[in-house]
Amino acid sequence: MNTTQQRSGLVTTALLAPAGVFFFFLLILPLIVIIVYSFGERAPAGGYSPAFTFDNYLNLPARGKAILNTLTLAPLATLLTAVAAYPIAYFLAVKVDPRWRLALLVLVMAPFWTSQLLRYYAWILILGSKGIPSWLALIGIPDLRIINTPYAVLIGAVYGFLPLMVPPIYVSLEKLDKRLLEASADLGATPWRSFMQVTLPMSLPGVATGSMLVFILLMGDYILPQFLGGGKVFFIGNALVDLFLQSRNWPFGAALSLSLCAIMFVAIFLYMRFVLRQSNLRQEAVV
Amino acid sequence: MTDTISTKTFLEELRRYQKGSVSRRHFLGVTGLGLATAVMAGAVPGLKPRRALAQNLSGTLNFTTWPNYFAQANFDEFTKKTGVPINVAVFGSNEEMLAKLQAGGTGWDVFVPTNYTISTYKDLGLIEPLDLKRLPNYDLSTQDPRFVSEGTIDGVVYAVPKDWGTTGYVINTKNVKSNPTTWKEFWDLTKGELTGRTMVHDYQLTTIGNALKYFGYSFNSNDEKELADAEKLLLEVKPHLFAINSDYQPSMRNGDAWMSVCWTGDAVQLNRDIPEMQYVLGREGGEIWTDYYAIPKGAQNPDAAYAFIDYILTPEVNAREVEAHGYPSTDSRTNALVPKAMLENPILYPAQDLLSNLEFGAAATLTNPLRAEIMARFKAA
Amino acid sequence: MKALRLYVVFIYIFLYSPIAIIVIYSFNSGRYAMDWQGFSTEWYGKALSNPLIVEALLTSLTIAGATALISAVIGTLAALGLQRVKGLCRNVFDGLIYIAIMVPSVVIGIATLVAFVTLFDIINPFVEAVLAFRFQMGMWTVIAAHVLFNIAVVCLIVRARLAGMDRSLVEASEDLYATPLGTFRQVVLPLLLPGIIAGALLAFTFSFEDFVIAFFVAGSDITLPIYVYSSIRRGVTPEINAIGTIVLMTSFTLLIAAQLIMRDRKQRRVGAGG
Repeated sequence: MNTTQQRSGLVTTALLAPAGVFFFFLLILPLIVIIVYSFGERAPAGGYSPAFTFDNYLNLPARGKAILNTLTLAPLATLLTAVAAYPIAYFLAVKVDPRWRLALLVLVMAPFWTSQLLRYYAWILILGSKGIPSWLALIGIPDLRIINTPYAVLIGAVYGFLPLMVPPIYVSLEKLDKRLLEASADLGATPWRSFMQVTLPMSLPGVATGSMLVFILLMGDYILPQFLGGGKVFFIGNALVDLFLQSRNWPFGAALSLSLCAIMFVAIFLYMRFVLRQSNLRQEAVV
Repeated sequence: MTDTISTKTFLEELRRYQKGSVSRRHFLGVTGLGLATAVMAGAVPGLKPRRALAQNLSGTLNFTTWPNYFAQANFDEFTKKTGVPINVAVFGSNEEMLAKLQAGGTGWDVFVPTNYTISTYKDLGLIEPLDLKRLPNYDLSTQDPRFVSEGTIDGVVYAVPKDWGTTGYVINTKNVKSNPTTWKEFWDLTKGELTGRTMVHDYQLTTIGNALKYFGYSFNSNDEKELADAEKLLLEVKPHLFAINSDYQPSMRNGDAWMSVCWTGDAVQLNRDIPEMQYVLGREGGEIWTDYYAIPKGAQNPDAAYAFIDYILTPEVNAREVEAHGYPSTDSRTNALVPKAMLENPILYPAQDLLSNLEFGAAATLTNPLRAEIMARFKAA
Repeated sequence: MKALRLYVVFIYIFLYSPIAIIVIYSFNSGRYAMDWQGFSTEWYGKALSNPLIVEALLTSLTIAGATALISAVIGTLAALGLQRVKGLCRNVFDGLIYIAIMVPSVVIGIATLVAFVTLFDIINPFVEAVLAFRFQMGMWTVIAAHVLFNIAVVCLIVRARLAGMDRSLVEASEDLYATPLGTFRQVVLPLLLPGIIAGALLAFTFSFEDFVIAFFVAGSDITLPIYVYSSIRRGVTPEINAIGTIVLMTSFTLLIAAQLIMRDRKQRRVGAGG
């Protein structure tokens, strides 16, 4: 008995050890280093020099605009992506001829396999003054400027993350029991009411999963604002890259990194607490 | 004391040299452990006979430079002659280059620092002294003395001049009719009729420096009060900018931007293709500079690095560079081969009364924490 | 209904117009990527004969392959191990998995960079004195950083499969006196395999596409996204469009092939059933 237990313990350790080692050296250790650095000082020529000060945290308001930008644009972009993705997912799950379903779904996701950088680059040209604004000028809407504005970043976000948002919504809609809809129709509900009272609540978990995924990726993004914001729309991620790769203020960068993590954890916690629970409750209520 | 150090250094160098065996280097390069590439077979002059150009070169040359700053034809020829492909990385600021080198493991073989940064690189031990014997095509006597001094520190040559230039601004006269001649006008236009059409460098020295010029301060000022004024101006201007980016040619060419802080060569290139593009040097002054070729510490392929610098400094080759990128050479032998029209072009060679107000960037600006933070705040605003 | 169809068409156009631009301009004979000069396929030849692009592609494939393999193995092991523990140990691991997924990649990149630089600064003098060797950033640091994130991904997927697995099969196998290892190989592994493969494929995709982490920790090694990024900064030539097109076409071909094989099988099964 005892030896079996010992052996079992040994097996468990062996199974968990490799992951443990990775987590320790590549997650815990780096995070500890970052925590230590966040209390340090910028070395004279840049970098880190040991110290114990809270100045880096006190200086965080100096990046207030970047934090604000991230906290408004990331949730807004997530919302827009969900709104843009839902009809597609609905169409694919409910309306389309099943023969084409998989192919069309794959077509939604396929852009994800071309270089993200190149796709954003193509958008610079589409949104630049030789692109859409010049066509709009032809039909009498002159001097429209999109590139390097928050709007460009939002368009890019919807474009970049739609392929990730559609699949989870699609899955939740596909699982939907068609008999429920029929029952609802039999009870005299209009299609619109059936949608609002049956389909939409049932698919909310998918929306919630997709939104979470997109939100996490957007909060830490810096490529999208860099490419389509032209250095004018600054996210926390851009501020971080700047602190490490330009102004070489590692301690401040460390403090900002930790703040970004903290903001994310709080946001995700609140999200899980309110949105996910809500949608689960509703789902249970319907079932 | 000196003895101990030199013995230690010698042993270290010897050990490095021993590791420089090709198979090991190849192995490490391939496995990505990439250490020993840091080892320079040629760094210990006494140990190895010097190679002539283009012999036994291998690997890749990692070259880090600035936007629109080389002649592709020259690079293709170098690759054809030596079999060494050139991997070009483009950076937008000296700070970015410094940050990369400080973090280590860049793999760069040759990079292009600007005059005022070299002393910092030397102090931080980030660049190699150059062995001029391996650069037979470099001739100090034909260099314009204004543009070589900062590459040499305490008699040791760390960098050789690539070319020189000025930092002014370019305007598209199709859209900008007011004929500005000063930095004051540059910033006022940006806040006024050119709102949303102006670009500035992603680069503290020129962006802050030219904002300082608005108030008539020195381009190099590190004075707290003066910098505060500059920051106030920059924050005020920020919403009116089109972008903050050191590569402004694409936006100027396709008409998104109408005015941009600009270096000599970009103005030459833009003006060559689009005659409406005009270069303006602010009357108040601004920057004059020299860019250099240098080899970072731990370069993986120093043989190719020397071969490349030597090749590119050959007057015929250098003249082709100048023709392509439009920055004036520091070498009189090269200038003898450059078309006369270029030597008379006022973008390359501005009038003396404009030149005399310009300042070389000061080393202290590179490491000044306040400047770095102001630039970062400006971008994050 | 009509509105929905129109909207769907619009979204597909929205999704594919940038890609169309990339593909169309890969056949541009001009020097600048977006300045049409005439039709030509020369950039494909140039791209494929450019040793830097080929090297970057190989580096990316190596990194993505190694990441997929290592994270599939370690992630699966961790999922199996976590099934056997409760309490603190399990909570700690669960927490780490979620942290690994939630921490933005820019922070992972920075933290890994800073940690490695600090670590190397400390140990390199000793290592160099003893082994005549220096640790440096490179391909392996990218793999390590990618594996961290992807262990968590694989682990979550495999655990979902484990949770859905029929315990009675394992018990039946044990009743038949199979050794634990035998049970694992003949019963558990085949059941988990789809999950493991899905996880490995995801890991491959994430790793192959990643620019952010690699940008910080790749040292002197150049991955394909890093090459693309510096090309964009250098002024894009149609060469990069050609590479993007080739990668896109390859994945499309694979997807279509997979589709056809699956449809073929289904039809055969249906045929056999009828």
